Amino acid sequence: MASKRKVGEAKLEKEELDLFVDAPPDDDDDEDEEDGDTSDSEESVYSGLEEEPSSSEEEQEEDDDSSDNGDDGTEETPDIPGPTTDDTTGSAGTSSMERLDNRPQPDEYEFDSSDEEDIRNTVGNIPMEWYNDYPHIGYNLDGKKIMKPAKGDELDEFLNKMDNPDYWRTVKDKTTGEDVKLTDEELDIIQQIQKGKYPEKAYNPYEPYIDFFTHEKMIHPVTNRPRDKRSFIPSLVEKEKVSKLVHAIKMGWIKPRKARDDEPKYYDIWENDNQYSPDKRYQTHIPAPKLKLPGHEESYNPPPEYLPSEEEILAWNQADPEDRRQAFLSRKYDALRKVPAYAGFVKERFERCLDLYLCPRQRKMRANVTAEDLIPKLPKPRDLQPFPTTLSVVYEGHTDVVRCISVEPTGQWLVSGSDDEMLRFWEVATGRCRKVLQLGGRVRSVAWCPNTAVCLVAAVVDSTVIIINPSLGDKLVYHSTDNLLNTYEAPESLETKLPVEWSAAEGRDYDMGIRLRISHPKIIRQVTWHGKGDYFAVVMPDGGSMSVLIHQLTKRRSQNPFRKSKGLVQCVLFHPIRPFLFVATQRYVRVYNLLKQELTKKLMANCKWVSSMAVHPGGDNLIIGSYDSRLSWFDMDLSTKPYQTLRHHKRALRQVCYHKKYPLFASASDDGTVVISHGMVYSDLLQNPLIVPVKILRGHKVTQNLGALDCQFHPTQPWIFSSGADTTVRLYT
Amino acid sequence: MASSGPHVQAKFFTKQPQFAVSEDVFSVPATVTTLELNDLINGLLNSSDGDGESSRREFDFLVEGEFLRLPLNSHMQGKGLTAERVVSIEFLLRQPAPEPRTAIQQEDWISSVQGNRDCILSGSYDSTVQVWTRAGQNLVSATGHTEPVKAVAWVKQEAIGGQFLSASQDQLIVLWDWDRDGGTAVPRLCCRGHARSVDCLAIHPTADRFASGSWDKMVKLWSLGEAEEDEEEERPRGKKKAKHDQLGPTRTPLMTLQGHGEAVTSVAWINDVTLCSASWDHTIRTWDVEAGVPKETLTGSKAFHAVAYSNLSHLLASGSSDRHVRLWDLRSQKGVLVESTLTAHQGWVSAVAWSPTNQHHLVSASYDKTLKLWDTRSPRAPLYNMSGHREKLLCADWSIPDLLICGGAEKQLCTFSYSDLLTSMPDRQQGN
Repeated sequence: MASKRKVGEAKLEKEELDLFVDAPPDDDDDEDEEDGDTSDSEESVYSGLEEEPSSSEEEQEEDDDSSDNGDDGTEETPDIPGPTTDDTTGSAGTSSMERLDNRPQPDEYEFDSSDEEDIRNTVGNIPMEWYNDYPHIGYNLDGKKIMKPAKGDELDEFLNKMDNPDYWRTVKDKTTGEDVKLTDEELDIIQQIQKGKYPEKAYNPYEPYIDFFTHEKMIHPVTNRPRDKRSFIPSLVEKEKVSKLVHAIKMGWIKPRKARDDEPKYYDIWENDNQYSPDKRYQTHIPAPKLKLPGHEESYNPPPEYLPSEEEILAWNQADPEDRRQAFLSRKYDALRKVPAYAGFVKERFERCLDLYLCPRQRKMRANVTAEDLIPKLPKPRDLQPFPTTLSVVYEGHTDVVRCISVEPTGQWLVSGSDDEMLRFWEVATGRCRKVLQLGGRVRSVAWCPNTAVCLVAAVVDSTVIIINPSLGDKLVYHSTDNLLNTYEAPESLETKLPVEWSAAEGRDYDMGIRLRISHPKIIRQVTWHGKGDYFAVVMPDGGSMSVLIHQLTKRRSQNPFRKSKGLVQCVLFHPIRPFLFVATQRYVRVYNLLKQELTKKLMANCKWVSSMAVHPGGDNLIIGSYDSRLSWFDMDLSTKPYQTLRHHKRALRQVCYHKKYPLFASASDDGTVVISHGMVYSDLLQNPLIVPVKILRGHKVTQNLGALDCQFHPTQPWIFSSGADTTVRLYT
Repeated sequence: MASSGPHVQAKFFTKQPQFAVSEDVFSVPATVTTLELNDLINGLLNSSDGDGESSRREFDFLVEGEFLRLPLNSHMQGKGLTAERVVSIEFLLRQPAPEPRTAIQQEDWISSVQGNRDCILSGSYDSTVQVWTRAGQNLVSATGHTEPVKAVAWVKQEAIGGQFLSASQDQLIVLWDWDRDGGTAVPRLCCRGHARSVDCLAIHPTADRFASGSWDKMVKLWSLGEAEEDEEEERPRGKKKAKHDQLGPTRTPLMTLQGHGEAVTSVAWINDVTLCSASWDHTIRTWDVEAGVPKETLTGSKAFHAVAYSNLSHLLASGSSDRHVRLWDLRSQKGVLVESTLTAHQGWVSAVAWSPTNQHHLVSASYDKTLKLWDTRSPRAPLYNMSGHREKLLCADWSIPDLLICGGAEKQLCTFSYSDLLTSMPDRQQGN
């Protein structure tokens, strides 16, 4: 409450002060009353009715207040000449007088205006030397000269200097010509200025700064004014503004301010360098072909060894200009000035220009590709187990090249045919030779009947196919096989155009196990069984149109599926599932549909001479071995060209084969090795077969340029048999 | 024993009481080998005897249940032992090397052997079954099979003769009555039922039944008891009567155990009711013969050729085409059944046989022409190699405790004497 009161008072004082200045000193009460009214009304804005002087007691209080204010250093000077106020103005009067007291010149009110405060002479602020020659300075109101003070002579000056103790502080006022004695305060000011300090000695520029609005949180407010009521009431105006903003945001008129990216903005001055620019042509500048530098032969005075002899000159003249080693003849001159004009100059320049013009300017791009990147990633052989790795059993007994082997369908027995005219039957597990058959000719091909209900082996000796019952395995089976063969009765009308003769074996041959002989006109190269075990096909490469014959065992009937030969037939194969026959000639494999009697497919073998062929048990993939040491894998769904060609052998391939159960295939070669490869065929048609060579099996010695001649997988185990020219059959497990 | 380098604190003990040494802790060099340890133990024993008798004996040393074959520190490293603690080293008399006894020359390859007391039964590829004395004297040669004999087994043997079985590739198993004095063997029973070559036989511990495995993937169980008359009466009739009579009355199998996917190569009895069979389908199966159902299947990665069970160690030993002898613990409940793998052979392991007296010893024959004597506590190296054979070995037997028998493609029946220290030790003490 007290502070409010003071603010009101200050306003009041100001009003009164103006009043004093403007109004003549002898004011009447009425005016005063008016002023009081106005002051009251003004005050009511701030403090309401409280300030209205209602009682004398309050006046007294205010007096006390004003006397308290006197502590600030102001003194009450009641003897100031001026209008005195009556009691009605009271406290207001006293406070105004305090202010007036601070004025430097108390007799200010002698003058009408305040802008002539410094009136020491009447001439004004003009250069005083103008009055140097006059005894006066200016004129008074009456028009009389205002005389300068009497100026003593030198002596007076000197005496004054000696006598007057204040001489040192007396200065002459130029404007009036009077001597002025400086007070102590003025001397202090001069001294302070001379020292370069603040003129007023008491002024302290380094007063402690009172930081009202500090960053530190104060426990007391700066002002103790209680909060207004309106600060507790939500502002309608603000609400209106906010709702306007919200509406604008909803309508999308106001968008959130974009986050300022404070990152400094640079730009790449080389940004456009990658785009085409005319400069680029110069960067990839290809220099013009250089001329050969002139040598000694072009000198006008060449060393004697460069000078052509008579014969050389003659030869040069006779040679075609294109054949000459150099276009000119070196000649010797005594001096440079004797050298004539060069006749071929224009022609040479022209040719040079042609060179420059026609020279191909092209940069050869060299691709940087490492060889490893071109090789597809294959799994490691270790992860593709099982496959045969080590030699386990050697079947010894033959005395000549073992040309062919075949494994019994259950895997207990193995049959091998050799050039020593023997057919040997081996026990797989022990390597024991159980049976030997002397066949009287080189055994070129042998095949065990794939049907487990019969026990038969077909062997090829020269031009004869011999069907043998080895009497191995199940007693019931081989007895029933014999019964089956014995029950054959020749049909009455046997019409055959083919020069093939079936004959049943008798006597000693029968005891040995030979059951049938089928003699052919030409040398037979291969015999192969159909999966059912009733039909078998033979290949006679020299047979012309009869190169392939298909025999039926139960009916002892032969047929020739092809009317004319399409080339030198190398081998044939039956499809394991479907009625297809694969016929491999030297460079092609033809697939015939036996039911429809038509050619279904012709596979380009992509090699010079096919030697062997094997079909995947699934029937859709085929491998071909060739004498030019290649193995080609055909995916017959994919293409008629090889899906992959492997060249792991150094010499001709003799045999290729698939495993019936494991994803393995193998190839035997004349270099004495058998290469086992992992060949996974996926049932998913989108996935191509995975072919990884996993193992090279060495063991067969190369004799007479022949190495491994045949290889067959064991039907159930991941084992492989191989036969070789070193008279052995080997089992790798 | 003074040598630079790290030392190991070692304590020696033995289970052979006559060699007991004080339980002092010795500091031995870390790189000590069996040879130096032998010196140490011999020195200890001689000093404690004090009678001046300086007989040197050879010992073997067991650290953590495995024979010391390498220097001690590498052995301990392999076992994961630290050199900080005192190592307990068990020592025992070294198994003396088997000595070759007799080599009986035969006419043809020997496919199977079995010893019993003083006689050796052998089956041969010339279709005969022969009985030999240990010295190599032929007692009898039984002929009757038409194809090579693949397996033989003793049923019983007495002083006057006995009974034995033979299985052949002609799909028959014949029980023979052998009269020692007369020197004859008469077929008593002919067991028909297998469809292909019968490859293995195993007599039931009570000798009243036997099991056979064949290439036709079957395991069959047969009775050895006296046949009922009606069964015999049923069979012999028709044309084949004469032939049947040659080999005695026909016997049909009691039970057929079907389950193998490939040829069964070996059968063995585990106990009275459990049979185990090994096959080329990479599995070993156990069967409950009471119920006739398969019990367990142990799957390997290669074809199995042989299996043998030891009643002493209760382990199953298997020989397979991957050159390893594997020991299987059927009782273990853990997933890994292979107890350990004995690796030293270079070829197929064709036969394994456990010692009838020593739970740690077994013998294995291989196509690499060696017979190996193994201690299960030394899986990396066999105790002894019996090499010198010229051809692959097909069979091995250890039915007679002190005789190792093997035969094979070199047509010789070779025997080696084996002296079991466990059995011979008490004898020596008695003698002393």
